[in-house]
Amino acid sequence: MTVTSHDNVPTTVLDGAVKDYSRDKVYVLTAIFLGVVTLVEIATYAFPDFPVWADELVVPVLMILMAVKFFTIVYVFMHLKFDKPILTRIFYMGLVLAVLVYVAMLSTFRIWFHGQHG
Amino acid sequence: MAETLTSRPTIADADAHQASAHIDADTNTGISNTKLGMWLFLASECLLFGGLITTYLLYKHPLEGPTPHEIFDIPFTSTSSFVLLMSSLTMVLAVSAIERGEHQRMRVWIGATAVLGATFIAGQIYEFTVFVREGLGFTTSRFSSAFYTLTGFHGIHVTIGIIMLVSLVLLSLRGKIPEHKAETVEIVGLYWHFVDVVWVVIFAVVYLIPS
Repeated sequence: MTVTSHDNVPTTVLDGAVKDYSRDKVYVLTAIFLGVVTLVEIATYAFPDFPVWADELVVPVLMILMAVKFFTIVYVFMHLKFDKPILTRIFYMGLVLAVLVYVAMLSTFRIWFHGQHG
Repeated sequence: MAETLTSRPTIADADAHQASAHIDADTNTGISNTKLGMWLFLASECLLFGGLITTYLLYKHPLEGPTPHEIFDIPFTSTSSFVLLMSSLTMVLAVSAIERGEHQRMRVWIGATAVLGATFIAGQIYEFTVFVREGLGFTTSRFSSAFYTLTGFHGIHVTIGIIMLVSLVLLSLRGKIPEHKAETVEIVGLYWHFVDVVWVVIFAVVYLIPS
């Protein structure tokens, strides 16, 4: 079987895929999406007074944009979306453990209360 | 039962009959041990970088020396971040190419990924040089130590990734990455994408969030 770069990748060679599609096109579109999200992140620095992320809102907005980029890369580029669920569980195990441990640590140092940590 | 176990297609069968190595490995999980090992490693890396980011957050307000937002050059770092982000695209296109058996195309994409990674590292070295010239050495303050340790560790990870990418190209040129070993490229790709997602977090937490 000869498959050229312009052919769709057949379902039989994609773990968990439900239909054939051109993966390269999806990857390029994903990269464009990531680039746009990065531009929005940079805009929070360039235009700090924009109403959507003015004042206290900038931190949650940046956290949401960061999470969107993080999970887009993990699911599409790292293929977690197409791989067996055990790999997702393994990765989440480390990620959730890290978040819990370090949120606990930051809480111990009272970082959430401005000027009281250290 | 024995028939069930032996009737699963092996990787060698895949090499003989398919243009891709996306097939169940002959293990209990159906995933090759190498791939499983890489994901376990990446899960443990979450704890490593989590620790470094937490330390940075605790020490980001320096008692002496320049403050983060006095020295950070956001437009420059944004460009570096964009370069690293695009290297993830070239990496995934390399994986896609080898899965179709296109070795030449795979080498081109991997070469592009290595060049983009090297550009990022060059930018980081330049940034560090500027910071040191402006009076922010490794031992200047708690902030500087935490900052250089975090971003330096990430830079070392990127450098190791570049070495792996160059090794892949050399192995491919010597014909040592046939289709049934396409997973090698995928595993290096997993490492590279992880380095990218770590930078996504560092860029937002260290550079963009105001003090």
